[in-house]
Amino acid sequence: MVLTFFDKTGARVLGALDLAGDFAVLAGRTFAAVFRRPFDGKNLLNQLQALGVNSLPVVVLTSLAVSMVFAVQLAFGFRQFQAEGLASQVEGLAIIRELGPVITGLMLSGRIGSAMAAELGTMQVTEQIDALECLATDPVHYLFVPRFLAAVVMVPLLTVISIYVGFWGGYLILVGVEGQSAYVYGNEFYKLLAFRDLRIALIKALVFGMIIALVGCWKGYRTQGGAEGVGNAPTSSVVTSSLWILISDFFLTKLLLV
Amino acid sequence: MALIDVVNLSKAFGPKVVLSNVNLQVQEGESLVVLGGSGTGKTVLLRNIMGLLTPDSGHVAIEGKIIAQLKREELFEVRQSIGMCFQMAALFDSMTVFENVAFALRRHTKMTNGEVTARVEECLSMVGMKGTDKLKPAELSGGMKRRVGFARAIALKPKILLFDEPTTGLDPVMTDVIGRVILDLKHELGVTTITITHDLKSAFEIADRIALLFRGECIACEPPAAFKVNPHPVIQQFLRGDADGPFLQDPPPPKRKTQEAHS
Ligand SMILES: Nc1ncnc2c1ncn2[C@@H]1O[C@H](COP(=O)(O)OP(=O)(O)OP(=O)(O)O)[C@@H](O)[C@H]1O
Ligand SMILES: [Mg+2]
Repeated sequence: MVLTFFDKTGARVLGALDLAGDFAVLAGRTFAAVFRRPFDGKNLLNQLQALGVNSLPVVVLTSLAVSMVFAVQLAFGFRQFQAEGLASQVEGLAIIRELGPVITGLMLSGRIGSAMAAELGTMQVTEQIDALECLATDPVHYLFVPRFLAAVVMVPLLTVISIYVGFWGGYLILVGVEGQSAYVYGNEFYKLLAFRDLRIALIKALVFGMIIALVGCWKGYRTQGGAEGVGNAPTSSVVTSSLWILISDFFLTKLLLV
Repeated sequence: MALIDVVNLSKAFGPKVVLSNVNLQVQEGESLVVLGGSGTGKTVLLRNIMGLLTPDSGHVAIEGKIIAQLKREELFEVRQSIGMCFQMAALFDSMTVFENVAFALRRHTKMTNGEVTARVEECLSMVGMKGTDKLKPAELSGGMKRRVGFARAIALKPKILLFDEPTTGLDPVMTDVIGRVILDLKHELGVTTITITHDLKSAFEIADRIALLFRGECIACEPPAAFKVNPHPVIQQFLRGDADGPFLQDPPPPKRKTQEAHS
């Protein structure tokens, strides 16, 4: 009884370590392959298009919705103790420090991370990845690197757009509905912020981009077992990368805010 | 020294032993045909040679280099001289037929666009697929995909070609065409080939030697003439294509008389 418990726990721990090790090795190989020739510009452009440009509507809409609802809550909350003026300051703080990067990261892990896992997963089960190997092409170099680079460029870029949209979402509610002065809103939004905050937001977005691309590609690459496996790969990639986005967000905030 | 040297190769998936102690030597310029029942591990053998699977014990050496011990860069270098034709074609489905065949040419040679186009046309017309270069793999039939896979494997003019059932699913005429292309490649370029096939007619045409895999072991490896008269009961049953004999593990369903079946 006790022994089977230890057996099972031990097997779990070993399994988790195995997975972590496998991920680390593939991530390391991706970093190493970034600078290897030949540079595949056409593939990278395709990925920039698929990841960045096509994700724009999703990011704009979610950022708008979240920033507006947050402004409504702040206006209501601060009215309780006659401090309506603080709403715009806190709105700016929240959007730039947390909501912008995290919402973008989570949405993109659903939109592009899952697409990567599904695409590479299909390629794996239909032997296309083996075919790449046989044509003397490293799948990590050919498939991972363009997606990784595109995510590393596009997630920060989309985060900036998300912050910008967030500003106008707050404006819509606080100026348009609550009747604050537009001039005051424009000033107050940035009042609690320093340039450092934007830098932190971009660093977070960069890390989230790496997580999304690496986890998506890894889950796809390790797909096994036909249609069912291909079905599981995106789900598990979204769950894993969302989790790691939230965990790394906590640690990055802790580390970078001191 | 043999160009491809398979030494004591064993491979199991979990408890299921697929290959046990397989030994095969293929000399330069020779063409070996591997026969065997469905599911006896022919594909697994090729995947071990290609380095897509690692052997449990034993090894595969190509030009004296042990595949499982190479670094990835060295492995890719060796693979540039090997063409592999997959059983299910494994075409890149996001690319057109042309891009599929041109893939290795563009990545591994300094050919100009014109030269690449010419080579792709040449390869496609060899397998009777001229004029399909703008189609996507999803728009092709099974046999057409297989022929494109064949064209992709030979595009780089590799020294070694591994064919996994290149003719299964093709009509008899096209099967003969593929057989001739393989023979042409052998005589013109001196390529070394390993061909897996279930088609005995083309097997005897292509082969310098024929190997038969049976329950994970290589029970014969000899020239076609000697293979034909090998008294081993499994070989004779395989050549006759008869269900009765030692080949199957479980006895086959009893044979009915055709008249009985009609009444
Ligand atoms: N990745 C794998 N995992 C588990 N078992 C496998 C795997 N690949 C192959 N096998 C098993 O190995 C055995 C041999 O498979 P293989 O594909 O080599 O057969 P084959 O000789 O090519 O047959 P066919 O002529 O039908 O193509 C099969 O019984 C199969 O179940
Ligand atoms: Mg097979």
